[in-house]
Amino acid sequence: MADAALFVTDLALGLLLGCVFAVIAHGLNLIWGVAKVVNVAHGEFIMLGAYGAYFFNVWFGFNPLLSVPIDAAIGLGVGVIFYFFFLFRELRGKESMGPQSEMVTLVATFGLALVLINLAQALWTGNNVGIPWSPGVVQIGSVQLPLGGLYVAITSVAIIGLSHVFLSKTYLGNAIRAYSQDIPATQLVGINPTSTAAIGTALGFCITMAGGALLTVWLPTGIYPAMGNLYAPISFVIVVLGGPGKMWGSLVGGLTLGVIIDVGQLFVGGSIALATAIGFLILIPVLLFRPEGILR
Amino acid sequence: MTRVLEVSDVHKYFGGVRAVQGVSLTVREGQVVGLIGPNGSGKSTLLNLIAGVEKPTKGAITLDGQRIDRWPAHRIVGQGIAKTHQIPKPFLAMTCRENVAVAVMFGNHKQRQSAKAFDEAGRVLALVGLERKADMMSSNLTVQERKRLEFARVLGTGARILLLDEIFAGLSPEELRAAIALFTKLQRETGFGAVVVEHVMRAVLTLSERVVVIEEGMKIAEGTANEVVEDPAVIEAYLGVEAARATP
Amino acid sequence: MKLPAFRSFGATLWGIGLFLVVLGGTAPWIPAFLLTVLIQLLIFATLAYSMNLITGLTGYVSFGHVVFMAFGGYALAFGVGTLNLHPVAGVAFGAVVGLALALGIGLVTLRFRGVYFAIATLVVAVAALYIVLEIKELGDGQGIYLSLRFEPLSWFYTIWVILAIEVVLTYWITHGRIGYGIRSIKSDEDAAKTVGINAARVKLFLFALSGLFAGGAGGVYYWTLSGVFPYQAFDLIFSLQMLAMIVIGGMGTLLGPLIGAVAVYIPSYIFLTVLSGFQFIIIGIVVIVIALFVPEGIVGSLRKYIPELRGVLE
Ligand SMILES: Nc1ncnc2c1ncn2[C@@H]1O[C@H](COP(=O)(O)OP(=O)(O)O)[C@@H](O)[C@H]1O
Ligand SMILES: [Mg+2]
Repeated sequence: MADAALFVTDLALGLLLGCVFAVIAHGLNLIWGVAKVVNVAHGEFIMLGAYGAYFFNVWFGFNPLLSVPIDAAIGLGVGVIFYFFFLFRELRGKESMGPQSEMVTLVATFGLALVLINLAQALWTGNNVGIPWSPGVVQIGSVQLPLGGLYVAITSVAIIGLSHVFLSKTYLGNAIRAYSQDIPATQLVGINPTSTAAIGTALGFCITMAGGALLTVWLPTGIYPAMGNLYAPISFVIVVLGGPGKMWGSLVGGLTLGVIIDVGQLFVGGSIALATAIGFLILIPVLLFRPEGILR
Repeated sequence: MTRVLEVSDVHKYFGGVRAVQGVSLTVREGQVVGLIGPNGSGKSTLLNLIAGVEKPTKGAITLDGQRIDRWPAHRIVGQGIAKTHQIPKPFLAMTCRENVAVAVMFGNHKQRQSAKAFDEAGRVLALVGLERKADMMSSNLTVQERKRLEFARVLGTGARILLLDEIFAGLSPEELRAAIALFTKLQRETGFGAVVVEHVMRAVLTLSERVVVIEEGMKIAEGTANEVVEDPAVIEAYLGVEAARATP
Repeated sequence: MKLPAFRSFGATLWGIGLFLVVLGGTAPWIPAFLLTVLIQLLIFATLAYSMNLITGLTGYVSFGHVVFMAFGGYALAFGVGTLNLHPVAGVAFGAVVGLALALGIGLVTLRFRGVYFAIATLVVAVAALYIVLEIKELGDGQGIYLSLRFEPLSWFYTIWVILAIEVVLTYWITHGRIGYGIRSIKSDEDAAKTVGINAARVKLFLFALSGLFAGGAGGVYYWTLSGVFPYQAFDLIFSLQMLAMIVIGGMGTLLGPLIGAVAVYIPSYIFLTVLSGFQFIIIGIVVIVIALFVPEGIVGSLRKYIPELRGVLE
């Protein structure tokens, strides 16, 4: 057993990291709720969000936090386009997505992932880049925490909280939630299913790309075209951990995964690789024994 | 040997929803038992429990004294118990003949030779009056035809105890009469046993030797058709619901 | 089960057989550079048929097939490097490892449907990389370098035999009683169970076979590369390519995976020399278009729109 100070530090770092993970997973969760299928190219939109933050830094000197609202706005537009291109035909006039449509969407969005990764590679090379921004550290008791990570965590919780308020307190938000639960019922109560689903998807992309920008604070040199291959599975695992469609699920799942990875390495001989593997594989027992997620 | 299926005090909870709460019933080969109850009373769930599609939360299901309630669905079919789906689930990418042939190949018969399976499928389709649609894709069938295909598939498995979930629903009075006549004839000829779930009472009452009535997952009456319709609890619960539905 | 009469094997199987026989017969006279291209093509075709066995036949989309291929490679490298096996025995070892892994992974993941299965296999694939990075016997994160000879004919005939067996098995499986069971599962798994099909066993059987062939193909692939390195070996792009091939060729068909392998690999090879990475943009666009607008793939649409072909093309 590692010593207590290290444990506390890793726990705190894990929680901070978990908050960002929660945001990228939250975006996926919303899209999943609306479309009943995962977007295989999810990681690539995180990647685009990260590159967005990178270029806003290069061009305008913005720090990643300033890029969050810009990325979010871009995400809204991207989400609408995505909806009409990939989901509209499969969802239109249906009660839910059947197995055939599910497969079509899985395969089509995987094609999209292929395109986006390689397009990014062609445009920006495969080299790693990063944003030089480190606002320093803060000492809390015996624990030293990166201020950047702290700002990111606060922003993350705020984003998830705001989306929660939007989804539960506004007419549009309630419409999206209703649509996620029961498509035919939506039509019965006079909600336009197409625009509701489009807005829901757009919101999901908005949060995903904002999450990509936030993530860059944790990745001093970790922005590269294929980065989605890591962050997409992370998002999938978190959504399943927290329970698909549960609004606070992403946060709970994100924190859990962040802690598993950061604290877990203390128990597997300091190997971040093994801790990550465990973090991923936790998905299997959860799916087997608690398919509705760890939250009740 | 005639088979005996016994359901004793089974319960099924879906989270907080108590779909079935302690129902018992017995069916033997050659006997038709009606199972009625208002919508959402747990009839389909009970059939799913017997067929192994769902596992009971509590209680036992036995076939000839042997516990089968933890068996997977395919194994139960292999023991001669097969179920139709309330909402038909044909194999849409196959013809009707193939749909039934699959049942002949994998059901209780386990017919390993495809040619023989297809012959048998043709015979069964003729029994239920689908012979003219035999080589049509099942996706082109109407809802009523799909229900017949469900029935044909169950017959194709060679089941000795049939679990039939609302196969007579949605028929006009004449169609219903014809369907009941057909069912009775088949049952006499082959001597299968059946649990016939119906949400409308009339079909069940004429068919069944015995009738079980459930409401909110609990058995409220059991007896011959005549006994059951005169049972005050049934009139109160079941007909009361029907009456309430008629005058909203 | 009895095999169908010899003459009724069907034009497609005959066609593929003829193609393989001609390739096999002329291989010794094919110039080395062309032969190496053909070897890669056959490797990818084997991988495509492997993916077809599970995803094409049952509709379970697997993103994790790269695991079987990579471990096939690691088994070869370990077998040849540490156990001093002949490379062909190493390939066989790779196939067995692929089979064993598929049995283990399939036993758990095949309980999940649709999206959940896809995610579970993806997660297993990502986790496998991180685990391999930590295993000393498997190169301790650095991979295993072998110094194997350049022997294209041995490579060729090894993968040739594997592919031939795989195609015949695919035919045999899809044409017997079990073929109907598989089609029922793809069509409606719940209904399949209620007519007596042991869906779990059928799926596991297919997944295990699929792992066997992907393992073997991986063995040959890393034999040709004379070594295996973790980040490349577990690159998800392999899973994606296998999926792309069967989507383009036609899922669940007998000829589709071969057509798909040609359609994906040959342009990739040509583009590789011109502009690396660019080929995947095109493949990706083709996959999107096919998935959304012609989900039957090339073989499926030919069958759909040209009724005369239905009797011969499968
Ligand atoms: N898979 C399930 N999950 C949750 N609730 C279910 C499920 N299946 C049935 N129920 C509930 O169980 C009750 C009984 O349903 P059912 O057996 O279909 O009734 P019936 O066939 O008599 O109309 C209903 O309240 C229904 O909503
Ligand atoms: Mg019902």
